[in-house]
Amino acid sequence: MTQKDETFNPFDPTGMFKDMQTTGMDAWSKMMIQMVHTDAYAKATGIMLDTWASSSAVFRQTMETIMREVLTKLNMPTRADVIGLAERLGNIEMRLDDLEAKLDEKPRGPRKAAAASPRS
Amino acid sequence: MTASEIRVPSFAEVYGELVKIAGNVQKYSKLLTSNARIAQTPKEVIWTLNKAKLYRYVPIVADEKRHKIPLFLVFAIMNRPHVLDLRPGHSFVEYMLQHGYDVYLLDWGAPGPEDRNLNFDNYTLDYLPRAVRKVKSVSGSDTFSMLGWCLGALISTLYAALRPDDGLKNLILLTAPLDFTDKTAGGFSRWTSHPDFNADKIVDAFGNVPGEMIDYGAKALKSVENFVGSFLSLWDNINNPKVVESWHAMNTWVRDTIPMAGGAYRQLINEFYKENRLMEGTLAIKGEHVDLGKLRANVLNVIAEADHITPPCQSEGVMNRLGSADKQLLRVRGGHIGIMAGSGAEKNTWPHLEQWLAARSSL
Repeated sequence: MTQKDETFNPFDPTGMFKDMQTTGMDAWSKMMIQMVHTDAYAKATGIMLDTWASSSAVFRQTMETIMREVLTKLNMPTRADVIGLAERLGNIEMRLDDLEAKLDEKPRGPRKAAAASPRS
Repeated sequence: MTASEIRVPSFAEVYGELVKIAGNVQKYSKLLTSNARIAQTPKEVIWTLNKAKLYRYVPIVADEKRHKIPLFLVFAIMNRPHVLDLRPGHSFVEYMLQHGYDVYLLDWGAPGPEDRNLNFDNYTLDYLPRAVRKVKSVSGSDTFSMLGWCLGALISTLYAALRPDDGLKNLILLTAPLDFTDKTAGGFSRWTSHPDFNADKIVDAFGNVPGEMIDYGAKALKSVENFVGSFLSLWDNINNPKVVESWHAMNTWVRDTIPMAGGAYRQLINEFYKENRLMEGTLAIKGEHVDLGKLRANVLNVIAEADHITPPCQSEGVMNRLGSADKQLLRVRGGHIGIMAGSGAEKNTWPHLEQWLAARSSL
């Protein structure tokens, strides 16, 4: 697709990038890999995420409070209500799964006993 | 090259080139914005719990010729498991079905806001044992083999150590992040073990950690290859159907990111990456102490030599802690995903897994 020989092809839109790739990609890649494996990068990542999380917390909490109040006044379930309901459904589902497993075991039990009895 | 050597193309040549380029650009942009048909092997849902689904693949080998012990696949919690069944003709699931296995796959699903507190305790002792119970019930076998990949391997290891009498006969671990002793090994370990990296604050801010954030972190480890090289490579091979098909399938899987439950993320960073509790012997799951010495299943621990996400040292160190009598370490050339989904997987990885398992899959 891109130029393979040394002739400049004016119709290959990625020709320039291909040249960069063949000549400098490996070096660029190694440099980037080294950079992300430095303590400075790790520190910068940590600080950036920490700053973002801290600064967004105020906005997030304010929004949550406003939404909760608005929904309560409108007599509608809040996010916490819906999440709580979903969690309860999850727990019920687990109990149902355990019940289903017990029901599954019942038919297997007599069969096993029947299979075992002739031998004994 | 001198000016006299430059040949001026004719109008027809220019037009022809422009038409070709336009066609290629159209094809390229379609590949970038569309989804390939992946995970096509026929299967049925046999169990669900919350967002988790357990699939059974439709066997293609007659019952009497199949291995008696079913194979249970457990993938990571922050990606879709479709990479195990990438595309027809290049699918690990399909390969194992052809070799006579009864294959089951656990898809953890995408956690919602109500799942923000789900952690490894829940995955290991609430979800996995129930899914195992269903696998045993449907297959009719009291023993089973389990293959865990990445964080799926971590969960599988915890389960195998905590429930050694549950019928697990064979355990295959693929690129398992278990030992975080070396804090300088790999980018993730270095970033997350830094004192300035505060997982609690991230989870408090997001609830569930967005898939895009995890995806960015993984790609940043090899940024040039992932953000530039991959796309240049596609352009270079735009007229090679084999490469295009493979790239499209992989890109479809990579783009389909899912969030990671906040509780699991918090635990992964604090208890595993920072405190290395599993190897230190201080890890407790739902109050039960995890002792790797209690793991008795046969173990094949597969390491990707060029893995930048789980460096080999994070998997190797576990071998002498396992209580298993039959344990092997297998080194495969390739990266974290490449060893199972790359073009060489069918020759370099899958046959090794299948042969190891076949020798241990009779009752």
